[in-house]
Amino acid sequence: MGLEFLARVRRTTLWVGALAAIVGMTYSGFAAGGGLAAGAVWSLVNLFLVERLVVALTGSDRGTPAAARGAALALAGMLGLFAAGAFLLMALPAEPLLVGFGFPFGVMLLKACSTLLLESAAWRRFTASRWQVALAVALLIAATWAIAERSVAASGGAVAAGPSGAAHGDAAHADAAHGDAGEHGASSKPTMFPNFLGVVIEANHGKPWADALHHVEPVVFSLFVALLLSGIAIAANRRRALRPGRFQAGVELVVQGLFDFVASVLGEKHARRYLPFLGSLFLYILAMNWIGFVPGFHAATANINITAGLALCTFLFVQFTGMRELGFGGWVDHMAGSPRSAIEWGLVPIMLPIHIIGELAKPLSLACRLFGNIFGEDMLLVGFASLGIMMLGFIPNVPVGIPLQLPFLFFCLLTSTLQALVFTTLSTVYLLLMLPHDDHGHEGEAHPAH
Amino acid sequence: MDFQAALGLALPLGIGIAAIGSGLGLGMIGSGAMQAIGRQPEAAAKIQLAMIIIGALAEALTIYAFVTMFILSGKIGG
Repeated sequence: MGLEFLARVRRTTLWVGALAAIVGMTYSGFAAGGGLAAGAVWSLVNLFLVERLVVALTGSDRGTPAAARGAALALAGMLGLFAAGAFLLMALPAEPLLVGFGFPFGVMLLKACSTLLLESAAWRRFTASRWQVALAVALLIAATWAIAERSVAASGGAVAAGPSGAAHGDAAHADAAHGDAGEHGASSKPTMFPNFLGVVIEANHGKPWADALHHVEPVVFSLFVALLLSGIAIAANRRRALRPGRFQAGVELVVQGLFDFVASVLGEKHARRYLPFLGSLFLYILAMNWIGFVPGFHAATANINITAGLALCTFLFVQFTGMRELGFGGWVDHMAGSPRSAIEWGLVPIMLPIHIIGELAKPLSLACRLFGNIFGEDMLLVGFASLGIMMLGFIPNVPVGIPLQLPFLFFCLLTSTLQALVFTTLSTVYLLLMLPHDDHGHEGEAHPAH
Repeated sequence: MDFQAALGLALPLGIGIAAIGSGLGLGMIGSGAMQAIGRQPEAAAKIQLAMIIIGALAEALTIYAFVTMFILSGKIGG
């Protein structure tokens, strides 16, 4: 048990502290969560200083001026820490601080016990049989659930989150209860799978910031996906090597595939220009659809506002591109059906409104198609998961269910991908229709029916 | 018949009728694609891509009906 053990304890304590702080802030307010976090951080700094002091006094280079300097710094740090502790006790409640202080020691104790346990013969005998382990895990989960329920019922607080193992099923049942309880009258909204944000909002029901957060819930998830994709892009662009590593090669594969796809519709010259928008559109919609299948997250595209925003962006981009490429007069001419002969000029009063309505119908259909598909998939999965829970409803107080939605998950993965592809393809085609048609030359270009 | 009973009757019927249309359409798309692939197996990838895209367009109309149903189904039991 050397110094690297302490480094691991530090890392684990940071994770535990962060998690405990979030849970504490959700269920007991900012003071409690902040107290937990502050106590844990204080305790970690304390541990660090003590470690430095001990190393300086008993390490291999003790007695040297460098070691003496290290010891003096550690002692000075401890004095500063003492002052910081006094300040913390003034600002935050004492119990969370104390509990946070105990985190590193709890982690150390647990790590020591687990080391002892995992190397004992009894454990090896126990884990030799898989059925024993599975039975033990199931009993453990059931026992935790029973205890949690009893303790929460005793304190009369919000329903505990409980162990989030097994199927989505458990939490969907709890969320059905939440959904009905949290309704402010009006129309009955359909049940959804619970997500991280939803749990936080429900626990802080009634507070103004929770209600505001509830309104922008899909936007938060879409922002999360956007940040995730941006992070991947930025990380792939660092230290661009001529002979790429695996990560850069993977990203290049995706970009090349998208470029080939867009070029097959628009032609090489235009594809190079419009690939950033169309490629990002595809990846963004795909990521938002797929993240809906990860437990705890929600597909933002299952909300009409998000898809309408995407369709609006595409519509504005296409129209702006048309105006830029054709000139404003050329764009109006295009909208009027490019009249060349007297008959065509005569038909302009009919063609212009028809074309305008057609242009407006395109983003509308894009938005509704994507929203309907992703929302419908969500409802399908929720329906089958609820069915699975109802099938095991005869077991009292234990919200588990048969994951009947499992085969449909694969189907929905396919249709999510397809819908992202269709959105992008249609946007590409609308862009193609708006660009000046070169009548000769472009091979490999799809000729879409108007 | 109050409006809730009328909605309860009409909404599933609406979805069903929309599904008939898109079922027929998708079947025709599929059959056309199969024939084209049968004639020219080398072009299979292009034909498949076009088939999938047109299939999504045909399905979109049923999705519109589905969305309308969802909006209106909130009015039942109000």
